[in-house]
Parts: sequence; structure tokens; C-alpha cells
Amino acid sequence: MTANTLRVLAAYGAAVLLFVIGNWVHPGFASFDSVTSILLIASFVGLVAAGQCFVILIGGIDLSVPWVLNAAAILLVTESLGEDSRALYAVAVTLGMGVLAGLVNGIGVVWFGVPAVVMTLAMNGIIEGLALGLSGGMTCTACASYAPPVIAAVVHDVWLGIPAALWLWLAVIAVVTFVLSLTSFGRTTYAIGNNARAAYLAGINVNLTTAALYALSGLFSAMAGILLVGFGGQASLGMGAPYLFQSIAAVVIGGVSILGGSGSYLGAAAGAASLTALVSVLLALNMPDYGRSIIYGVVILALLLLYGREQRE
Amino acid sequence: MPSDATIPPRVVQRRPRAAHMLGQNAGLILAAFILVLCIAGFAAMFQIQQQRLPGNFEVTSTVNNTMPLALAAIGQSIVVLTRGIDLSVGGVVDLSNALAAIWLTGGVLHMIGISFLIVLIGAGAGLINGLLVGLGRLQPIVVTLATLSIFQGLAIRVLPQPGGEVPPGYTIFLANPNQPTALVFLAVAIVAWMALRRSRLGVTIFAIGNDEASAVTLGVNAIRTKVFAYMIGGALYAVAGLFLAATATAGDATTGDGYTLTSIVAVVLGGVNLFGGRGSAVGAICGAFITTMIVNILFFAHINPLYQSFYEGLFLVVAVVFGALIGRLMRGIR
Repeated sequence: MTANTLRVLAAYGAAVLLFVIGNWVHPGFASFDSVTSILLIASFVGLVAAGQCFVILIGGIDLSVPWVLNAAAILLVTESLGEDSRALYAVAVTLGMGVLAGLVNGIGVVWFGVPAVVMTLAMNGIIEGLALGLSGGMTCTACASYAPPVIAAVVHDVWLGIPAALWLWLAVIAVVTFVLSLTSFGRTTYAIGNNARAAYLAGINVNLTTAALYALSGLFSAMAGILLVGFGGQASLGMGAPYLFQSIAAVVIGGVSILGGSGSYLGAAAGAASLTALVSVLLALNMPDYGRSIIYGVVILALLLLYGREQRE
Repeated sequence: MPSDATIPPRVVQRRPRAAHMLGQNAGLILAAFILVLCIAGFAAMFQIQQQRLPGNFEVTSTVNNTMPLALAAIGQSIVVLTRGIDLSVGGVVDLSNALAAIWLTGGVLHMIGISFLIVLIGAGAGLINGLLVGLGRLQPIVVTLATLSIFQGLAIRVLPQPGGEVPPGYTIFLANPNQPTALVFLAVAIVAWMALRRSRLGVTIFAIGNDEASAVTLGVNAIRTKVFAYMIGGALYAVAGLFLAATATAGDATTGDGYTLTSIVAVVLGGVNLFGGRGSAVGAICGAFITTMIVNILFFAHINPLYQSFYEGLFLVVAVVFGALIGRLMRGIR
């Protein structure tokens, strides 16, 4: 068994352990309904983490998550105005915005040589300014629209006992894992993450792949924004803020190296599930905000010390 | 076998001194240049709209508003020089700000003691980061992301609601609202930086930032250097928190959050290389002032404040792209 497989298993183990602990402190925590509702919340982090996983695998990072997600949520409600007939168009526009933001990130990183941290940080500001400015600080009449019923249904409807959004996440897990491990695009991604220069010399179009990966990250952030609006009903300012920290944490807990080149989305998905389970356990314990924040940090550090250490050369 | 005499002596090509200086300090020179442009632009706008040049009040408020960011950016730049990054800035600023608001009362000696204690706590926070990065061999970005969460939590534990009070004397001393006396502290910081740059620690910081493996081979203790770099950083973020409390005359455990990102912006605008080994605290200070001046300029250009982060983000990208371009050109002049 390789170290990577072990890390993925550890992430799943952590998730299961947290559910067991949760059930011990709060009987009923590990019931089927409770688990599915926790996993439903985890799916939003999980989707963002899919995009984050792509860019971290090539040694990059996407700090533009919070406002791409938030702008997606605002764009969806303002374009759809809560009407089913406009839902498809609104979803297309929103996903397009996410892809565009990600693509510009990729272009900045690849062709203009801007460090990923700076480029995506700046993009976060750019989108924030546009979202706030164009919506008049969320005061526009369309901003108060609700998500179209069809999108709310996609999140809340239960198919075969499991919420539809969870099915969607499972599909994303399957597709992303397939793409990363069995397609040439996926192998290219790992090759770039391990050694971009060697990958280039091996004839890989490093620039194009990198740009595409950033675009995918934007796509997944926008997708999470859409589902989050469907889940909560309305868009609000600042709704994307927690997802930056959580998506990076999920990816790292899932055993993906922050330097790129190793790890898998299967692990990151488990990371998202364990993070959400941890928060739910702490909520069940009536832990105040600050306590959650501290324990959150400590747990991430503990997990990192367990298996996130660089190998000694 | 040719004798030694037949081998032509190796000619070491050296650039003229001035060109070398220019190439080595390209980032700093560019940052200073952008800052001068910003100040000139602001003064021109001010002149047109107010029929006078910015006076004592404008200078004082700009300096006082920039001090926390300038200090945080110096700390960030020292960490970045070691090829690290510190995302816990916001948490340490919050914690120091919160502690200042509840502890600072009474006499001068008491306030001095408390201030030192808070700076020490900041250094302790940096020590934790440094040990985890150096000894724990963990990646700086994830370590400081986790400690950010911890420090933010502690800050909210200390000061659940905005409040507390900072004695007026403290405000006068650190962030005098009538005269830009805070510039003195900036001068102190620059002198301290110059001393650090020439000290053994400073040289090792640059060495591991440029090439850690080589530096270690040459006998540099990389772990100790990193621990010290994060500790100096932590102490400076705490000082930034004190200045923030002095300016606001009260505490808030969340106002410091923004400094994580703005300190990185200031460091980048100040010509500090994010991949380590290149840059200076003076550049970081320039970067901090550029950041404030941009906000001032946007205000006087009557830009809708809602669009503010749009222009800031755009400016950051443009500055970095052109900075890299001009830096390459300047290093090209040999």
C-alpha cells in the first residue's frame, strides 16, 4: 500500500471516527438522516475542493474562491429572477462567469508570469468589486429574488433516500477521479505538478493545461455558489468567505501535497466530509464560535503533523 | 600537457557598479517610483478639488492609517524572504488588538510593560509558526492557515464584542492625530531593518530564501533561521495590532483580519519576491503606502466605494506584470 493510499484511507477514517464520536456525545448523530444532511453540507465544500484540488495538484492555489462563489450566487438569482423558465439560461451564464474568472487567473499565471497567490488574490478583489458595484451592494431589486424552484429542488429533492445534491457530488467525485487517474489530461496534471519543466520537455502543453485547470476551479466555485443558493434560497454578501479556508483544508487533510504532484480527489472529498463532521460535532456540543475556530485549527495542525510532513531528503 | 602559462587567465566580467545596484534593487526602485507617482497623482487631484496641496492633516491621517499595514508588511516580508508565507497575520493583529483594548489602563510604566508583553505574545505566536514550519517540516501556507484560525479564535475569546478602551496618552504616543510623529517609528523600523540585513541572522534569512539546500551545506541552521524569521514577523504583527488599537482608541477582535491579504499585497507591490531571497523592508513600507494612496486616490476620483476592490485588484495585477517586465529589462542592462 502506498503512502498516498494510506493518506486517503486516513482521511476516510477520520470522517468515520468523527461520526462515531458525534454519536457518542449526541445520540442520533450518526443516524442515516443526520449523516446525509451533514454530507449535503459537506458537498458544497467538496465541490469547491474539487477545483482547489486541481490547481493545488500543479502546485498552484486559488484564492479567488470566496468571491467567485459569491458572485455566482448573486448572478444566479439576478439572472433567473426566481423563475424556472430562466433557470437554464441563468445557470449557463453563472457557470460561464466562473470559467471566465478562472481562465483569466490561468492566463495571468501562465502567460504573464504572475504568482498564483497574487493573481487569484487580485481576481478575488476584482470580482468582489464587480459584484458589489453592479448589484449596488446587494440593494438591487433583482438581488432579493429567490432561487428558481427547480434549482432548490436539485438540492433538496430526495432520490432513493439521498438528497439530489449529494448524488451530484458523488457524480463529481466519480468524474473527477476518473479524469485524474485514467485520462491523459489527469496524468498531464500530475506530471506538471511533479516537475513542470520535465513535463514541458516531454511534450506536454503545460501552459494550456494550467490555464484549463484554473478555469475548472472557477467552474466548480460557481457550481458551489449555484447549489448554495438553491440550498439557502437567497444570495447574501460574504457567503463565500468560509469556503476558501475549508476548501484548502479539505484538500490538505485529504492527503494532497500543497506542493503539487501527489494526492487525489477521493482524499479531498473525505477531507471535506471530515471537516464538516467536525464542525457538526462541535455545534452539537454547543461549542461557542471561538472554541470552534481554535479546535478547527488545532485539528488541522494535528492531521498535518500526522501525515503532511515533507520527506527528509 | 600545457603549462599553467598557456591557460589564459579567466576574465571575470563585472557590471559597472551603478548598473549592478540598479539591477539588484529593481523591485525597491520600482516600488519607490510607483509611490512617488501615487503621491504626485493624489496631490494633483487634491490641488484641483480643494485649491490647495495636502497639508498636515492629510499627511498625518495617511501615516497613521498606514502604520499598522506597514508594520505587518515588514513582518510578512521577512517571512517571505525565507521563501515562506504567513497567513496568520490577521489572527495575530486581532489578538494583539484585543489584548491591548482590555489590558491597557493606568500609568506609563504599566502601559510600557503591557505593550512589551503583547509584543512578546506576538513573538510567541510566531514561534509556534516557526517551529511547525522549521522543525515540523510542514508547508508554511497550511500551517499559518491553521494557526490563523487558532489566533482568531483566541482573539474573540479575549474580546467577544468590540469595545475596551485605549488611554488617550497611548494614542498620542503611537498615533498622534495632530502631527505625523509616527514617522519616527517608521524610521526606527528602517534602521532596525538595515541592522538586521547586515547581521548574521539577516544574511542567513536571505541565504535560505535563495537556496536552502546550498545554505544548509554551507553551515546555515535553516530551522533556527526560520523560527527567528517567523518570531520577528509575529512580534511586528503584534506591534501593528497596538498601532491599530491606538488609532481606533478601542479594540475589535476582527478588524485585523484584512491584514493577512493586504500585507501580502503590500509586500508584492514593494518588490519583495514571493519566491524568497529578494526584497527589503523598505520596499514593503513603500508597498503599504502605495496601498493606502490608491484608496485615497480612488476616493478623490469619486469612484463608487463599492468598486474599490475591483480597482485595487486590477492595480495589483497590472503593477506586478509591469514590475516583472521592467525588472527584467533593468537586470538586462549589463
